[in-house]
Amino acid sequence: MSTTVAPSLPAPPSRLRNAWRGLGYFFRRAPLSAFWGVIAALIVAMAVAAPVVAPYPPLKSDFRAMQKPPSEKHWFGTDQIGRDTLSRVIYGSQTSLTVAFGAVLFGTTLGALWGLACGYFGGRFDMASQRIIEFLQSFPDLILAMAIAMALGGGLATVIVAIAITRIPFGGRVIRSVVLSLKEMQYVEAARGIGASHTRMMFRHILPQCVAPFMILATTHLGVAIVIEASLGFLGVGIPPPTPTWGNMLSDALNAGLVPPWWLVLFPGLAITLTVLAFNLLGDGIRDLLDPRLRGSV
Amino acid sequence: MYSYIARRLAFGLLTVIGVSIMVFVIMRILPGDPLVAIFGPDGFTKLSEEQRANYMRELGLADPLWVQYLAWVQQIAEGNFGRSFFRSESVADMLARRAPLTAEIALLSVIISWAVGIPVAIISALKPNTVADSTARFISILFLAVPGFWIGMLIVLGLLFWFGYRAPLTGAGLFTDPWANFELVIGPAVVLGLGQAAYIARMGRSSLLEVIREDYVRTARAKGLNGRLVIAWHALPNALLPVITLSGVLMGLVLAGSVPVERAFATPGLGFAMFIAVSERDIFVMQNLVFLYATVFVLLNILIDVAIAFLDPRIRLR
Repeated sequence: MSTTVAPSLPAPPSRLRNAWRGLGYFFRRAPLSAFWGVIAALIVAMAVAAPVVAPYPPLKSDFRAMQKPPSEKHWFGTDQIGRDTLSRVIYGSQTSLTVAFGAVLFGTTLGALWGLACGYFGGRFDMASQRIIEFLQSFPDLILAMAIAMALGGGLATVIVAIAITRIPFGGRVIRSVVLSLKEMQYVEAARGIGASHTRMMFRHILPQCVAPFMILATTHLGVAIVIEASLGFLGVGIPPPTPTWGNMLSDALNAGLVPPWWLVLFPGLAITLTVLAFNLLGDGIRDLLDPRLRGSV
Repeated sequence: MYSYIARRLAFGLLTVIGVSIMVFVIMRILPGDPLVAIFGPDGFTKLSEEQRANYMRELGLADPLWVQYLAWVQQIAEGNFGRSFFRSESVADMLARRAPLTAEIALLSVIISWAVGIPVAIISALKPNTVADSTARFISILFLAVPGFWIGMLIVLGLLFWFGYRAPLTGAGLFTDPWANFELVIGPAVVLGLGQAAYIARMGRSSLLEVIREDYVRTARAKGLNGRLVIAWHALPNALLPVITLSGVLMGLVLAGSVPVERAFATPGLGFAMFIAVSERDIFVMQNLVFLYATVFVLLNILIDVAIAFLDPRIRLR
């Protein structure tokens, strides 16, 4: 009488370990992009931890140090009413990133789902959708965002909506073309053959293949959204002051007088540039990794 | 060729109509009450019922929406762009005064973008993955990330700080005062031009790299043609076609970018007018300016499409 022991299979790798391995792969294959990815992560961490990191509260005026150049006490100087520029730049990252992630989450995702439906169903629905997308794309994106933000009145939610709407057509276009080519694949035909429903086909078989192009698009759009948000703030249709945003700070600097103090101009702009650069280069790296056909075509 | 142009124009007309409806929806229907948009949420609550009714009637906002829409379209068709809610100057006069400056900036910026972007693309593509190529690519990636209006502010500040120089603050015509006009235009044009040049260098590089691998380029080399001539005569013209299309798309960047950039330079152009309209919550001026910008963008892209069809027989014969 012997107990038969079932041959033991190696345990399937856990998802967590898979993620770690993927990250390690990313660092080996694209060290430069991974470096910028770390910078992007640091900026996100800085935004989350703003109350801890910032040396002063962003709205607190120090009337003994008004419009002072950078010093030991205020590394980035102070503005016209004695608020610490470094703290305001740190807090500004909160708004910037909230708007950017919000706009991409709503706009790019909505566009992508729309594109999925267009590509999958085709026909009249697709034709009508393409016309609407064309109308949306006839506006230079900042102009469209300005008009919507102005119409809805200022505020965090309206700025997110305004920028999200400008992102919809891009998500729609890109994902639609991906879906159109996927639809012709044999495995999709096979799924149709065994009688899969439309929902199952769309979400189970086609959607997972759209994740890579979506990720590429989304990281690029983060950078674009940050620039649009800053421009809206600069033009006074963004999130109203006194909330510190990078765009508001640059606008305030211009309102300071004929000759704006250099530290009020330099630091918020550097923050925008660094953040956008980090997201763009991270996006480039992700694209190289996920879509080797595009490598080197940058 | 003519049927292609006709088809393109018909589609363009359809797009402009769609754009006008969209502008109307955004500027008139989205705010709920246009008076809220004009006076702001705080100002609106201070108005009495009677004042509100008066304003609505005065501004023609009491009519049904489709009557308002048709009235607006009719006005535009007559070339009447209405009047600002806050200023005495009519929008048509304002356009005549300010639009030429912005048009000059746009044109000059396109010239700068090609003059800078194409040579960079050629150097990058002929010697890929060298130091020159990497430098060029890094600089273009940097320029894609830098907001143009911030560069503008730095330029204004730098010139003021080191040279005590500032461009004139009042408008100057191209023919009445060419030098002052140039001083006004060159700053924004350089900023917007370099922003486009980054895209053009990237696109030009990849497009040239693709074309260089084509058979006809190898043939030209094989028959003993000088390397530079092969690039200039055979490779470049074909590689530039997608760059021309890109240039049209980038016009959106120029038109939109002109608003914050003109504010940074305090250029008295159309972009600055849009900034004023936005900060004064002048929805009627804004509505017309947004429509105008979108229409110009659509028309420019039709022009580019026709130019491409003229240059590339493969498209013309389709």
